[in-house]
Amino acid sequence: MKRYDLIIVGAGPSGLSAAIEAAKKGLDVVVFDENEKPGGQLFKQIHKFFGSKEHRAKVRGFVIGQQLLDEADEAGVKVVLNATVIGLYQDKEVVVRIGEEICHYKADAVVIATGAAENMVTFPGWTLPGVIGAGAAQTMMNLHGVKPGKRILMLGSGNVGLVVSFQLLQSGCEVVALVDAAPRVGGYGVHAAKVARTGVLFYLSHTIVSAEGDECVTGVTIAEIDDKFNFIPGTEKHFDVDTICLAVGLSPMSQLLKMAGAKMEDNPKRGGQVPICDEYGRTSIPGVFVAGDVSGIEEASSAMIEGRMAGIVAAEYLGYIDDKVMETELAGLDKALDGLRQGMFAPKNRGKSIEKTEEGIDISQNLLKKGFVGDDEIERFPGVTHRKGIHPVIECTQNIPCNPCQDVCGKKCISIGDNITSLPIAVTDSECVNCGMCVASCSGQAIFLVDEDCGDGSATVTLPYEFLPLPAEGTKGIALGRNGQEVCEATVVSVKSLKAFDKTNLLTMRVPKEYAMKARFFRVKTEEAAV
Amino acid sequence: MSERIEEHPILGVQKKGKTVKFTMDGKEIEGYEGEPIAAALKAAGLMVHRYTQKEHKPRGIFCAIGRCTDCVMIVDGVPNIRTCITPLKDGMTVQTQYGVSGIPFEDQ
Amino acid sequence: MNSVNDRSRDIGPFVPGADDDMLICRCEEITKGEIRQAVHDGMWTITEIRRYLRAGMGLCQGQTCSRLVKGIVARELGVSPAELEPATSRVPMRPIEMHVFANEAREVDQHES
Repeated sequence: MKRYDLIIVGAGPSGLSAAIEAAKKGLDVVVFDENEKPGGQLFKQIHKFFGSKEHRAKVRGFVIGQQLLDEADEAGVKVVLNATVIGLYQDKEVVVRIGEEICHYKADAVVIATGAAENMVTFPGWTLPGVIGAGAAQTMMNLHGVKPGKRILMLGSGNVGLVVSFQLLQSGCEVVALVDAAPRVGGYGVHAAKVARTGVLFYLSHTIVSAEGDECVTGVTIAEIDDKFNFIPGTEKHFDVDTICLAVGLSPMSQLLKMAGAKMEDNPKRGGQVPICDEYGRTSIPGVFVAGDVSGIEEASSAMIEGRMAGIVAAEYLGYIDDKVMETELAGLDKALDGLRQGMFAPKNRGKSIEKTEEGIDISQNLLKKGFVGDDEIERFPGVTHRKGIHPVIECTQNIPCNPCQDVCGKKCISIGDNITSLPIAVTDSECVNCGMCVASCSGQAIFLVDEDCGDGSATVTLPYEFLPLPAEGTKGIALGRNGQEVCEATVVSVKSLKAFDKTNLLTMRVPKEYAMKARFFRVKTEEAAV
Repeated sequence: MSERIEEHPILGVQKKGKTVKFTMDGKEIEGYEGEPIAAALKAAGLMVHRYTQKEHKPRGIFCAIGRCTDCVMIVDGVPNIRTCITPLKDGMTVQTQYGVSGIPFEDQ
Repeated sequence: MNSVNDRSRDIGPFVPGADDDMLICRCEEITKGEIRQAVHDGMWTITEIRRYLRAGMGLCQGQTCSRLVKGIVARELGVSPAELEPATSRVPMRPIEMHVFANEAREVDQHES
C-alpha cells in the first residue's frame, strides 16, 4: 500500500483543478482516472466557453483542457490513467484497478470528482443500434473523427442537446429536428439560435413515440404531448433518420461517496443522489471532499472553480495552509463562482419560468418555443441599434454570465458594465472599425456586423461561420433568416479567418438592404439544398 | 452508412495512428491503430455489435465511454469486451457476440 | 418509519399497463411490467428489486437503468423517487474480471511513472 496526502478520483475539469491547487500548496497529490486520456469531457467541448476572462471565456473547451493538463504538469501532479477506482473504504483507503492488477492506496484526504452520467428515456425501439447518448455523439465525432450518423434527430433542448446539435452540423451531419418534451427550450437562447438559423426545426412539447428499424434505426416518429405528458393523437410526425441522439440530462456519479458512508440526499435541484456538503465541497466525512458534477450538475467552468476550492480546503484540512490563507483564497473564488451562478439559467432559477430580463424587457417567446428570436421581437433588445455605416448588432437577449464582447471591442462599441449578466448594449455614438473581434469572440455566435445601407440598395451582414467548406468570395447563395428559412439571395463578399478569431470565420454577405436585419446565415446553393 | 470526418472546421485534420487491418466476423476491415474498435467499426458502417442473450435483440454503440456495456463484442476470443474503449490493434479478431458466445443462436 | 418501510400499506393490485413490455434494464433485459409486478410481489426497495429480478445487476451495474427503475418503483408505491434509497454501493464500482479482482499488486509504485 502506498500513501498520499491527497488522492483525487477523476481527472476532469474539477479533479485536475483540485489537484493543481493542492499540489501548488505542497501536497503530494495523485489523480486516478478510468479513461485512457485525462480532461474528462473537456476535450469533446469544441465551442467557446462563456463567462468572463477569469473563467477563461471565449476559449474553446479542448484548449482549456490542454491548459489544465499543462498546469497540472507544472505543479507536479501525478495523473494515473486507465486507473479505475473501484472502491473507497474507511480511513480513506482507495482501491484502484490498474491494468490487470488491484492496487491499494491510502490517502489523508480524498477529493471525489467523478462527474456525471447521462440520463436516458425509454420509448419503443430505444435499444436499437443508432439510438445513442449525446455524449456518445460528441465522443465519436470530436475525439475519434467519426460521424455518429448521417441524418440525426436530437431529443433534448438543454445546453447539451443544443451544443451537440451544432457540433453534429459542424461534423457534416444533418440534424432533422430538435425535440423536447418541455414546452420551452431548456438551454441558452444563443445556443438554440445558432442551430435554428441553419434550418434545424425545433419541436417543443413533443417527444419520441417510437424508433423504427429491425437491425438498427431507420426512422423515428414524434408527437406532441399535452401538459400531462400524453400524446395528442393526430400530431405524429415521421422522420427518416439513422441516428437518434438522447440529451435528457445528467445524474451525479456519486456511488463512491455512498460506499464510503458519506451522508447523501436525493436532491432534484442538483440532479439526483448527491453527498450533503458545504459550499466548498466538505462532505460529512472529515477529509473527504467533492467537486464538480458529482456534487450537483452544473457545467465545466463552475466545476473548475469548485475543484480549486476543494483543493484549497483539503490543503487546509491537512495543515499545509492556515485558515487565514484559505479564507482569502476562497473569497476570490467565491466571487468567480458567484458570477457564473447568475442570470436566467442560474441554479437558483432552475424550474422557474422567467418572463422578463433583468432590464425589464420581455423575453422572446419565439426563442423559448422555436429556438430563434422573431423579426418582430429583436428590435426591443439593447444590442440591436441602428446607425449609418458598419456597426455591431448583438442578438444576445437573455441574461447569461458572459462578457468577452465588451472586453474585445477597443472602440467601446459594446457595453455590459460590471454586472456580467447584463444584456450587451450596442453603443450608438461609438466608432466601429469593422475589426470583427466581437463577432469572433461571442461564445453564443450572437453578434453580427451590419451595414444596413451601402448606398447601392444593398446591405452587408458579417456573421460567424464555423462550417466546412468555407464559401469563397463571390459565392452566390441563399441568406437564411433567424428561423432558418430562406429570405433572399446573397453573395459572399469576404471571408476572414484570422488567428485571433480562433477558427470562427467571419463571412460577409451582400443582401438587398431590406433584408439587413433579417438575413443571419448563409447557405451555398447546391443541388441538394434546392430539393 | 457512416464515415470519417476528413477535415473538421474547428479540429482540423485529426491525427490518426497508422492504418491497421483487423477482421470482423472473418471479413478484413481497416482502421487506425489505437482508436477504439467501435470507432473503426462505425467508420466501416457496422451498427450491430451483439445480439442479447434473452431476446436476441441487436445492440450497438450507446454511451461510447465504457459505461453502458452495450457495445461489447468478442475480441481475440474474449467475450464482453467494451469495444468503445478498447484500442484497435493490428490483426485483431472481432466477432459479433450472441449472448456471450461468438456462435449465432441458431447454431448454439 | 417512512412510507417505503411501511409494509402494512396497501398499494392496490397490479394493473397491467400498455407499456409493460418496455425494456428498462438493457443488460439483463428486464421490462417495466416485470419491475411493476415485482413491487406487487413485495419488493419495495431498489436493493430488493435488484436481487429479485437482477435489474441493474448486469454488466453495467445499473449505470443506465437505475434512475429509470427508481422512477417506476416510486410510481408504483405512490412515493417520490427521492424517498427511495438507492441500491447499495460496493466494490467493484465497474465490471471487472475475477482473475483481475483477485490479483493484488505487490508493488504499486510502478504505475506512477
